[in-house]
Amino acid sequence: MSSVFWALVRKDMYVLRVFAMTGVATGLVALGAMLTGKVGFAIGGILYLTAHIAMGIMIGMYGFMSDRKEQTRLFSLSLPISGQHHDLAKLTAAFATYGIPWAILTGAAAMVVLLSGVFPRGFLVYGLLVQGCCLALFSVFVAVLFVAKTEPLAGLAIIVTNILFSLFMMTLAQESISGSMKGPRIVWSDAALTLAACETGLAVLAVVFAISIILRKRDHL
Amino acid sequence: MMSPDTSLAFTLRGVRKAFRYFALDGLDLQLPLGQIMGLVGPNGAGKSTTIRLLMGLIAPEAGVIEVLGQRVPEHAARAKRDVAFVAEDMRLYGAATLAWHMRLVASIFPNWDEVYAQQLLKRFNLHAEQPTRGLSRGEHIKAMLLLALARRPRLLVLDEPTSGLDPVARYELLSELMEIVRDDSRSILFSSHNTLDVERVCDQIAFLDRGRLVDVSDKEAFLERWRRLQLDVPPGVTLPVLADVVEVSSSARLATLTTNNYQPELQATLERAGARVHEVQRMSLEEIFVASVMRSRGEAAS
Repeated sequence: MSSVFWALVRKDMYVLRVFAMTGVATGLVALGAMLTGKVGFAIGGILYLTAHIAMGIMIGMYGFMSDRKEQTRLFSLSLPISGQHHDLAKLTAAFATYGIPWAILTGAAAMVVLLSGVFPRGFLVYGLLVQGCCLALFSVFVAVLFVAKTEPLAGLAIIVTNILFSLFMMTLAQESISGSMKGPRIVWSDAALTLAACETGLAVLAVVFAISIILRKRDHL
Repeated sequence: MMSPDTSLAFTLRGVRKAFRYFALDGLDLQLPLGQIMGLVGPNGAGKSTTIRLLMGLIAPEAGVIEVLGQRVPEHAARAKRDVAFVAEDMRLYGAATLAWHMRLVASIFPNWDEVYAQQLLKRFNLHAEQPTRGLSRGEHIKAMLLLALARRPRLLVLDEPTSGLDPVARYELLSELMEIVRDDSRSILFSSHNTLDVERVCDQIAFLDRGRLVDVSDKEAFLERWRRLQLDVPPGVTLPVLADVVEVSSSARLATLTTNNYQPELQATLERAGARVHEVQRMSLEEIFVASVMRSRGEAAS
């Protein structure tokens, strides 16, 4: 990829940095709150998930929808880059801007589970599956934004991914799946592995879909 | 396959682009290096579509587009190294400062001229550390123009840059454009529906209407070719049908005849037919533009 490609990736990461930084700060505060007892765990847990979801929505909406609506896209497309590479740079930047905070929060959550002694170690699998679901649904949301060019459609994508997240949490809460996650050992049960595989598959599929849309597009406005 | 003509800033041959309710069709247009072309047309004529095709932002369904010798959209990225584009509806990143935008563009263009950028900053009375969301409409256009000019492009493409500007800002912008083309290796394509702006800065003028090129010529030729004749036509005299007469309107004995290819012999021809020519008037570019468009629409309707 050309230097212009990476300049555009850095540009988007700079423009979107406030959402990433707010997401990390909120996530870390939430993790801290989760260590303070039952109520703190509940509030921190909700805040932690909200930080992930809000960060993903803001990065997608601001990085793609506002870019189109406010015509800043016209400015970046005037730079010496093809329309395809421009959109690939946007995809890369979106994943980097979401992925770096996601990795920091995943690492922090794993450390909290493994080192704090507050949670059973088996809870690590639960945490990683939730993190995987957030990343997979972010991938789906971003992929949809390459097709959905209006705010109502983007709003619909947010609603659908939130419903999918709720369904995932309900599935994960079933005793047959989460039972082993409450123990002192880290156990990747068949059910947990299946969920992890589904998350990975969904994320890969979404990225492949987004790339195929980008490469087929002839008009870039 | 034809080899690209390096004496041209851009060329469009038989270009077609259709949308649901609008089509640009059979567009042939070219601009020699070192010239300024004004692309004039009413709203919805296809000016922005033409410019977006040239910039490789949309792809044509038919025809050939070359910009600075590069086929577009296939090699648009290569062409855009020497092309700067500013559009009326283009926006900078509101939360970022102009200085940040200048650093971004400078990091991409090796020809970025920092000294010139600082000069423009002063001339346009802009503040580099101000977030661009605080800029007025005129300041925003000037900021984008600064970012475009300081990269020292060979071709500058401006889509309605004076639209919505106050007269002083418009004057400053047009003066800057005239300054740029003192260097005759640079070319400008300037779209507008303001014929006064176009008349002031352009060498070449193209009229576009409803997706079709109505006429293209150099400015002086346009102004020389078009004339309006005021005639006295006595009763019983019928004006002959003449080629190049675009419009004839009459009221009682007085008639007004508009031609797009004025020759002094026209006067003699009319007088031989029995009419008396009172006055031969030059036409403003706006009058020429309106007459061209109305004639084109009349031809399309018939």
